Amino acid sequence: MPMTRRRMIAGSAFAAGALQAGFVRRAIAADAEPIRVGFLPALTGPSSSTGIAINRGMAMGVEEINAAGGVGGRKIDLITRDTQSDPTKAVNAATELTRREKAHVIFGPVNSGESLAATPLIARDGIPQLDPCWVDSLTDPKKYPLAFRNAPTNHQIGGAANRYVLEVMKVKKIAVIGDTTGYGTSSVDTYVGMLNDAKADVVYHSTIDAANPDLKPEILRMQSAGAEVIMPWSVNAGFLSRIINTRSDMKWDVAVVGQTTLGSGQTKALLTKPENWEKVYANNFRNCSYDASGKLPARTAAFVEKLKTAKVEMGDTLLWWIAMGYDAAHLIADTVKATGSAPDQIAGHWASLKAWPGVYGDLTWGPEQRNGFPDEEVVMVQANSFDSGAFKLAPGYGA
Amino acid sequence: MLESIIAYGLAMGAIYALIGITYNVMFTASRVFSFTAGMLGMLGGVLGALFIRKLGLPVIAGLVLVLAAGAAIGVITEIVTVRPVLKSLDQHLYVLSTLAFALLIQQFTAIEWSTEPQPFPRLLDIGPGVFDQQFWLPLAACFATIVGLELLYRRTLVGRAFLAIAEDNYAARALGLPEQRLRMASYALAGMIGVLAGFAGGEVLLAFFANAPMLNFYGFVPVALGGMGSNRGAVIGGFALGLFQQAANFLVGGIFASVAVFVVFILVLLARPEGFGGARAARRV
Amino acid sequence: MTDTRLATTAVPVGENPPRVAARLEALWPYLAIGAAAVALPLTGDTYWGIIATRACIYWILVAGLNLVVGFAGQIAIGWVALLTLGAYTASVLTAGTATPALPPFAALIVAGVAGAIFGLVVGLPALRLRTFYFAMTTLGFATIVTQIALAWQSVTGGGIGVPGPEFPGWFSTPWGFYYLCLALAAICTWMTANIAASRFGRSLIAVRDAEVAAEAFGIFRPTLLLTVFLFSGAVAGVAGGMFASLQSYITPDAFTFDLSVLFFIAILIGGRGSIIGPMLGTIILTVLPEFAAPLVAWSTFLYAALLLLIVLLIPGGIADLIDFKNRRPLERHREIAPRPEMIGPLIGHTAAAKSLTLENIALSFGGVRAIDGLDLEVRPGEVHGLIGPNGSGKTTTLNVISGYYAPDHGALRLGGDTLAPGGAHLRAGRRIARTFQTPRLIGAASVLENVMIGGTIDGHASFAESLLTLPRHRRDERVLRDAAMATLTAVGLEPLAGVRADRLQHSELRFMEIARALMLRPDFLMLDEPAAGLSAEEIKRLGTLIVAITRAGPGVLLVEHHADLIFDICDHVTVLNLGKILAAGTPSEIRSHREVVSAYLGA
Repeated sequence: MPMTRRRMIAGSAFAAGALQAGFVRRAIAADAEPIRVGFLPALTGPSSSTGIAINRGMAMGVEEINAAGGVGGRKIDLITRDTQSDPTKAVNAATELTRREKAHVIFGPVNSGESLAATPLIARDGIPQLDPCWVDSLTDPKKYPLAFRNAPTNHQIGGAANRYVLEVMKVKKIAVIGDTTGYGTSSVDTYVGMLNDAKADVVYHSTIDAANPDLKPEILRMQSAGAEVIMPWSVNAGFLSRIINTRSDMKWDVAVVGQTTLGSGQTKALLTKPENWEKVYANNFRNCSYDASGKLPARTAAFVEKLKTAKVEMGDTLLWWIAMGYDAAHLIADTVKATGSAPDQIAGHWASLKAWPGVYGDLTWGPEQRNGFPDEEVVMVQANSFDSGAFKLAPGYGA
Repeated sequence: MLESIIAYGLAMGAIYALIGITYNVMFTASRVFSFTAGMLGMLGGVLGALFIRKLGLPVIAGLVLVLAAGAAIGVITEIVTVRPVLKSLDQHLYVLSTLAFALLIQQFTAIEWSTEPQPFPRLLDIGPGVFDQQFWLPLAACFATIVGLELLYRRTLVGRAFLAIAEDNYAARALGLPEQRLRMASYALAGMIGVLAGFAGGEVLLAFFANAPMLNFYGFVPVALGGMGSNRGAVIGGFALGLFQQAANFLVGGIFASVAVFVVFILVLLARPEGFGGARAARRV
Repeated sequence: MTDTRLATTAVPVGENPPRVAARLEALWPYLAIGAAAVALPLTGDTYWGIIATRACIYWILVAGLNLVVGFAGQIAIGWVALLTLGAYTASVLTAGTATPALPPFAALIVAGVAGAIFGLVVGLPALRLRTFYFAMTTLGFATIVTQIALAWQSVTGGGIGVPGPEFPGWFSTPWGFYYLCLALAAICTWMTANIAASRFGRSLIAVRDAEVAAEAFGIFRPTLLLTVFLFSGAVAGVAGGMFASLQSYITPDAFTFDLSVLFFIAILIGGRGSIIGPMLGTIILTVLPEFAAPLVAWSTFLYAALLLLIVLLIPGGIADLIDFKNRRPLERHREIAPRPEMIGPLIGHTAAAKSLTLENIALSFGGVRAIDGLDLEVRPGEVHGLIGPNGSGKTTTLNVISGYYAPDHGALRLGGDTLAPGGAHLRAGRRIARTFQTPRLIGAASVLENVMIGGTIDGHASFAESLLTLPRHRRDERVLRDAAMATLTAVGLEPLAGVRADRLQHSELRFMEIARALMLRPDFLMLDEPAAGLSAEEIKRLGTLIVAITRAGPGVLLVEHHADLIFDICDHVTVLNLGKILAAGTPSEIRSHREVVSAYLGA
């Protein structure tokens, strides 16, 4: 029966792997051959800040592993293809990695639009995939049995922000704003729905073109609707900075609670005044945040030391992106060490993974659970407490 | 809300008007519409941010350098993309050569400078709220340009020579005017006006490579509506466009604003292809 | 240069075998590429399969756009708008977000129809606007479509997008899908090549390069342009549907300005008026970035650089580069040897005995009275000379008869019928033909193709029939080609039939224009200074030719400065001065007319 482009045999991941006779053959003979890891970051183009940062961590992780002798004598061959933030280039590159380069595992793409296009094709080719995107529909044990998410879902992210606003800040009237990308629109839709379910009063919600130079009309509308907090969802630093600047220009004293990029170095660079960054709280992750006494968790602190030694730049980006890349490299290495590099081996190992200790987060998957990041590790942090890529927890969290 | 519409609308309108004037200066010198006007505007912002913010030069020095760069690029445009194709009978070639050149510069900027909008330095520290200098600097630049051009065209010999080659090319050459050098000078002038638009508007637009196609289109609308070669039409058209766009932004939101602008543009052009201020096409046989 | 190489190998009328060789010569690049494309799956490399599939899909769109940009000469830069529309239409219909889900092939057809309609909308401004303005409106459309795709979340999924259509059975495997795209690409190539070698293709190029002349031969620009926009849009819509299927999931950010640039530049790099050129251009531009990873980021920069180089160095593009035939040197000392005896059978019929009359025609341009009360009668079978100083209104008179200008008052009659005052494109149907003061021709086309333009209105096949090369189209072409060769032989230019028109000498171009006009089998032929730039011997031969034309029936209105020619061959002469008739009569009367001598002829 011919192998279709997208329809996968429902059921266990093993069957899919078994049909790829070539890979099985290769797995048996794979003793000293390198572990080919395909990596699809967007290093150029409009949405490249994430990819550039993850790349730093990934590259460092791979280098570290190879310097220590690789995995059971096998070096990791990191094959990186810049998708240029373009879904068509992502499709070309994904096919090149799975078909031409015969990668054992793929990490990425890191932007939703690209991942939405590339994931079905990677699945068709029966290659295990580690997906760092947040769009909920990207993981599906039936459609994409070999795809595993090593990051939170949009649902989890929004849930954490909503919980902070409703339970910690105890605010009732909420304004939600996003940009017009896949990420922005899906976030606004999902989170407004979640807020409504929690019986909050969403007085304003909209998606705006991120390139729009003037957000004053929208902020004014929020104000006249009586909003007590602004929740922006976008990865575009220009867009987010404009929201923050406009709020301050209007001298409107409400908190801004939302997307993690609110705290990025790029957003900071676009602020008109440093004071504008007060009362801005961004999504982040407990493992990459300073607690009340200003300390990082031990594992993270050690990682930061490594970054400093390797002279990896942290000040212009987010620590958790770099950590995630680093973790990906090590997760793959640990997996291959435990089971081998055939697709069914990798996928099988991941499907029963419990609390794998990452710098960024402890990952747990299951046979029907492809989203590995724990709910409680998603937290809000103070944007203007930025120090070397990490932040202080927002006020009101218990230790 | 009204003050915001007016402040932003006039600021953007001034930028569009200046780009429109850039188109016109190039057109009157060569009868060629160049795709490089928007690119010049973009470079004004990018180079301004580069010189003042990245390299730390004082504002005036930065401005002077930016203008010089604009003039240089204008001259290169004339030599590389306009002069070679003027000789050819194929009318369409100039559209392609200027488009290609504009794309080259745009892509180069995207790759070497950044694909994200970068901050533009604060030029003066004046003005609260809607009277902030980021809004009236473009207006000042527009005003200065109009006055400057008036003085140039009416009071100086060079300016009148510009007008002569625009009015009647053959007669001007017969009189011994150095057509080629005048054309180069016109393009240099257009280059300076274009980068001035981007520089004065840098705080509003940010230093962003994608400003080039945006300014190309929105800077062209005043020219199309006001009539080719008519600077007065470009200014009126520019301000009208800026105000209309901001009003639409406020009232219906971003996406429908651009649809609205575009629909109005198409309808007006279809009704009056020569624009409001232009002359009907003359005999063609 | 056009791809009608079948027509350009100067084959004498009636010889068949060399035609087959000519056909093969024209076809071999297509066959070679086609063979390579069909054999690709043998390599087993599905990565190159994806790239090749993408090239096929892009070519489907570019093949249609080629008629708009390469043939009609419209600067449609923002054509990605149609790809977006087609992609979303096909995807939304198969996903069932707005309507009940349709099967993918049905959705593809609907996408094509939607593309056709939208192509018409995008193309409409081209009828009214100048080149640059129209280019800008297409850019505007491209932005608008993306904005709408973003905003209309309930249908298009907004920023999240929709899954693309999935084709059933074998077509959903990588190679199956590839063959589907390849088949569609082959069909589009075939169809557009058919149009190129039809009167529609020639008319498009005529409208592009010699619009005024095209009108004189009955080519009506608006219908022609709208037809190609409709076709091009339909094809782009289909390409969009296939694109969505290839991507498996579409979001608005997949439809970049870079893609529009790629389509447009592929045509220009390939060469206007060619099919094989843009095909090679598309393949090159799709495949190039895949050869080196760093190239990917710089791809648009490279495309732009290529475009600039082509424009400056080889404006004719790849097609020009591979046009070896037109590099062969021409014979230096060529003579034009008309065969007046062939004119009679060529024109074929005896013209009805109706005259072309102008009654009290007046026309002013602003304050200048170009024609001030002119009465003129051109009788069939006669040569009527129209002479006078420069600026006396001679060419303007011709232009009024041609219908380019409507007179302020006065009547224009053909026999008893009044001719519509404007309406230049209707004159050809009235069998009124003309030549122009400065030859207006299509430099990039062959002499034969230029002459075939003259017979455009006598074609019967519709656009659709030409598209599918149905029998009526083939008959049209055969008849037209034979007639054109015969006319060229009559006029004495048949050795140059296959040569690019812009390589001809000035005098040869003048005779070529006459040949083109004769293709109409005109009742009236207007010649605007045909002897300008001719040698004495050529003027003599021209005179013999004109006389032979009138012997066969038509009336000739001859505007000239060469007094000898006028007095040699004219039956009547009208002298104009400052828009008014100075004198009218037989040549001998005019030659001795005092005022004429003083105002114009000199002692």
